[in-house]
Amino acid sequence: MNCQEFWDRMPELGGEVDDHHLRECAACAARMERQGELQAGLRAMAESDRRAGAPARVESRLRAAFRGEMGMDAGRPVRSGWRLVLPWAAAAAAVVVLAVVMVRARQPETTATPSARGTDMAMVVSTGDAAGDYEGFIPLPNAGKLADTEDVNLVRVEVPRSAMIALGLEVSPERASEMVEADVMIGPDGLARAVRFLDADTL
Amino acid sequence: MALYNRRQAALYRFALHMSGSAAVAEDITQEVFLTVLREGCGYDAGRGTLSGYLFGIARKLMLRHAERERSDVALELDADDGGLPQLAVSNDPLIDLTRREGIENLRRAVQALPRRYREVVVLCDLEEVDYADAAVALGCPIGTVRSRLHRARGLLLEKLSHERSPRHAGNVLKPARCLT
Repeated sequence: MNCQEFWDRMPELGGEVDDHHLRECAACAARMERQGELQAGLRAMAESDRRAGAPARVESRLRAAFRGEMGMDAGRPVRSGWRLVLPWAAAAAAVVVLAVVMVRARQPETTATPSARGTDMAMVVSTGDAAGDYEGFIPLPNAGKLADTEDVNLVRVEVPRSAMIALGLEVSPERASEMVEADVMIGPDGLARAVRFLDADTL
Repeated sequence: MALYNRRQAALYRFALHMSGSAAVAEDITQEVFLTVLREGCGYDAGRGTLSGYLFGIARKLMLRHAERERSDVALELDADDGGLPQLAVSNDPLIDLTRREGIENLRRAVQALPRRYREVVVLCDLEEVDYADAAVALGCPIGTVRSRLHRARGLLLEKLSHERSPRHAGNVLKPARCLT
């Protein structure tokens, strides 16, 4: 087998690497080694990009489009100027509401344990709360329910990981101060209704 | 929206690698799902997996965008040496491509591939789409996917080897202009 035949039998071409040729040809062995490093580099690149995804506003726009297609659009025109301001106002409101939720959850008179609160919320989801229709979202305590026809906005914010505790999720103490990304669902009244932590699986 | 949550990240990354622009990637991702929504999802399981179908829509939208904007970022390997910043990270960029700087070098090399080769690298090597799905997405036979991937890896090796020996890539002595 010559070098050309060797490279024409690479796995991506449906062949197999001929180890015998590699032992005999130093040039092909060196190139093969570089190809292995390239493959490792591509895997590392894929891993470093693994968490990249479309921003939350894409999901918001699609939800609005979906509601429009389903004839569920409430049809409230929004002036273009407000379109620019609303997401920022909503983000600020979301952070404030989350902070309030966290503070309330830490009040000593609160009798429910974090796990019990989590159970309560899971029950809300299963009973068909509009917020529960959104995959991965946890309804905020005391937040109003969304009607099916209401439009929502999603805003991505960073909150301390300890905010998860208030929503019934377990957080290891050493990581409680870390910041974590979350999507906050904002109702048409500008109030936060539900939250989805983006890396809740890595508590 | 469950479909969106499962598929959006891979489609977004595909569009990002192909366009080099986060804004374009965002638009393409959105447009893929709007297309599915509007056209009632003309997906036919007999012609391939859903993954290949969605990547195919994303690719067509990317091509349309490139035609519209005339700003396809695909750069020919021979023409890109002056355009991409040189990073003197290591004497040999292939020594450790898994380091952060190495990954950035590699990212630029992938971006510099001609589009037809970049597509297969992004799909098969970065998104780990199998050859059959990639063939559906690209609208070509599996054999073409295989040969393009083989060629693309060769081009990447050449590109990175050029960076390893900058004298061969950018500092080649050019003949002086004859004044007589």
